[in-house]
Amino acid sequence: MAILINRKTKVLLQGITGKMGGLHTKYMLDYGVDLVAGISPGKGGAEVGGVPVYNTVPEALEHTAIDATLILVPPYAAKECAIEAIESGIKLVVIISEFVPIHDTAYVKQLAIERGVRIVGPNTIGVISPGKTKVGIMPGSIYSEGPVGVVARSGTLTHDIGATLTEMGIGQTTCVGIGGDPIRGMDFIDVLKEFAADEETKVVVMVGEIGGTGEELAAKYLEGGYPKPVIAFIAGQTAPAGKKMGHAGAIISGGTGSSASKYAALAKAGVTVAKTFSEMIAAVREALAAEEARKKQLLGKSQAAGI
Amino acid sequence: MRLFEYEGREIFVKYGIKVSPAILVRSVEEASKAVETVGFPVVVKAQVLTGGRGKAGGVRIAANPAELIEDTGRLLGLVIHGEKTESVLLSKKIEIAQELYAGVTFDPQNGLPALMFSTSGGMDIEEVARTTPEKVLTMHLAPTQPLRAFRIVDFLRGSGLPSDLLPKIAQVLQRLVEAFHGSDATTAEINPLVITPQGEIMAIDSKMVIDDSALARQQITPRFEAGTPLETRARKGSLNYVQLEGNIAVLGSGAGLAMATMDMISYYGATPACFLDTGGGISSEKMAEAFRICLATPGVKGVLVNAFGGINNCEWMGRGLANVIDEDKPTAKILVKMRGHSQDEGWKLLEDRNIPIVKFGTTEEAVKQIVELVGKGA
Repeated sequence: MAILINRKTKVLLQGITGKMGGLHTKYMLDYGVDLVAGISPGKGGAEVGGVPVYNTVPEALEHTAIDATLILVPPYAAKECAIEAIESGIKLVVIISEFVPIHDTAYVKQLAIERGVRIVGPNTIGVISPGKTKVGIMPGSIYSEGPVGVVARSGTLTHDIGATLTEMGIGQTTCVGIGGDPIRGMDFIDVLKEFAADEETKVVVMVGEIGGTGEELAAKYLEGGYPKPVIAFIAGQTAPAGKKMGHAGAIISGGTGSSASKYAALAKAGVTVAKTFSEMIAAVREALAAEEARKKQLLGKSQAAGI
Repeated sequence: MRLFEYEGREIFVKYGIKVSPAILVRSVEEASKAVETVGFPVVVKAQVLTGGRGKAGGVRIAANPAELIEDTGRLLGLVIHGEKTESVLLSKKIEIAQELYAGVTFDPQNGLPALMFSTSGGMDIEEVARTTPEKVLTMHLAPTQPLRAFRIVDFLRGSGLPSDLLPKIAQVLQRLVEAFHGSDATTAEINPLVITPQGEIMAIDSKMVIDDSALARQQITPRFEAGTPLETRARKGSLNYVQLEGNIAVLGSGAGLAMATMDMISYYGATPACFLDTGGGISSEKMAEAFRICLATPGVKGVLVNAFGGINNCEWMGRGLANVIDEDKPTAKILVKMRGHSQDEGWKLLEDRNIPIVKFGTTEEAVKQIVELVGKGA
């Protein structure tokens, strides 16, 4: 199972002939990704690492089915690439590019909603279902397969949480970096809904950061009842107010968007909040153990009942 | 990036929004000469980027040349919320029948532009929205669809304004939305938008914020906000850096990672000296500059580098660090936690220089180790 992407996902890379495109073609192939084609207008007919290059997405679609695309192009080119993918009918569009103008993101997000397409990003590391495939730029080796779903705003923090879980022997179903920009495609709630419906995911780790309202909206959604334990970590607990902490969206202004308000909203919604990684790991272990115990109990009951 | 009032007015004019006649001056002499084109009485407005200008005494009205000299002299150089006034705008004093508010911004809850309008203009609109939310009308706009005038007229019916004014105001709002999109603004606001006794609709102030990521395509030269010399140096190198008070510098290859590292340093009783996020696309030169800024941070006794080779590459990052170690021979304690693409090559560069590395451990373990190395004292 896992969410959004699995072993069979056929992946396209838009921007395959760039420096980053070439590098990540290699990394994706090494990870076993079914990278079926790349796009680079004007370079159709070429190959990168054995992957055929086409001029346009429609041209690529004449040769292969495509389930998801990874956009790895300069920021001002990302909008057109995303529109091309959406209008060509690709259902999952992952925009890696950093510094995409907000107006471009807003347009793409709206078009995607109208066409029933999922957008991840921009300014993201993408999505990985460890051991199966990835549509992203993360180093695959630091993630591992298992029962925990991860959704995070910050890219490198997703790596770090993935690596920490892996170090502690806890694998992941899927890790989704939703991106560090104030406006983004899928938000916490969208990913939480996917994890709720995924049988393999037993526990969800949610990694937020200061600024914006995504975590508070997620808390409101979770308050309505969620079928799985959720554990949250919010970065920026010690960030000074009024200073932009790297990401365009990461700023505490006028007392809103602080980690304290996010932690409070999440705790109220029944989420286990962790202030450090070791607290987070302990909470994940506990939740997994409780899930295991519940399963055994159910099994015992059904055996006793002769089912 | 915030624009000055006069810059925002230029955008309004470009999009066909009528503004009160005004002229920018930078000295008392210029003011005395320029006032002829505007006439008395004239509103003298300090051009600063910070809000709350009126309350801080940054707006004055001059009835004659003597008052103009006094007011301009008083405002030029005036420090408003830490910002020095370098120029003033002389704006014709307009007769006002009614003050309105109009603004466009992105709603963070759904990512859509929101057009806002109120007949309670001229005052603190956030306060109006908080205490009497029914006085602010809001309409969400679909960025994929053109905004039709009839939609705005329809929206304005809720304002209680007389019918004959609705199309005129709708036209201004339509142009404001065009200006918002066309100039890559994240906020475009007219407060107040006034109705004159003659029934003219006119903007007499502007507040515009342009998306930092769109400055290049808008051909706007970035203005660096005031900061410490190291903060300014970092911005020039495209690094996100915030100087703090402690003794452990945090150098992260991403904002969230650097913030989480900071949080845990505080949790374990020490204090971060700075926050530095390299962002993606780190070359060895960029890493070297980031490392040098961390080492130059006042009070720094140790540097914790916490980096992933995702979009980046550990070998390039390691080379940047190694070059600084070779050339500058820093005395601060250094600990590097680095993993990802080309990690073996990156680690080797540091091992050759006897720099301690956390290879497979967690950020929390790295934090404990650097706090141990440096000690908790600030």
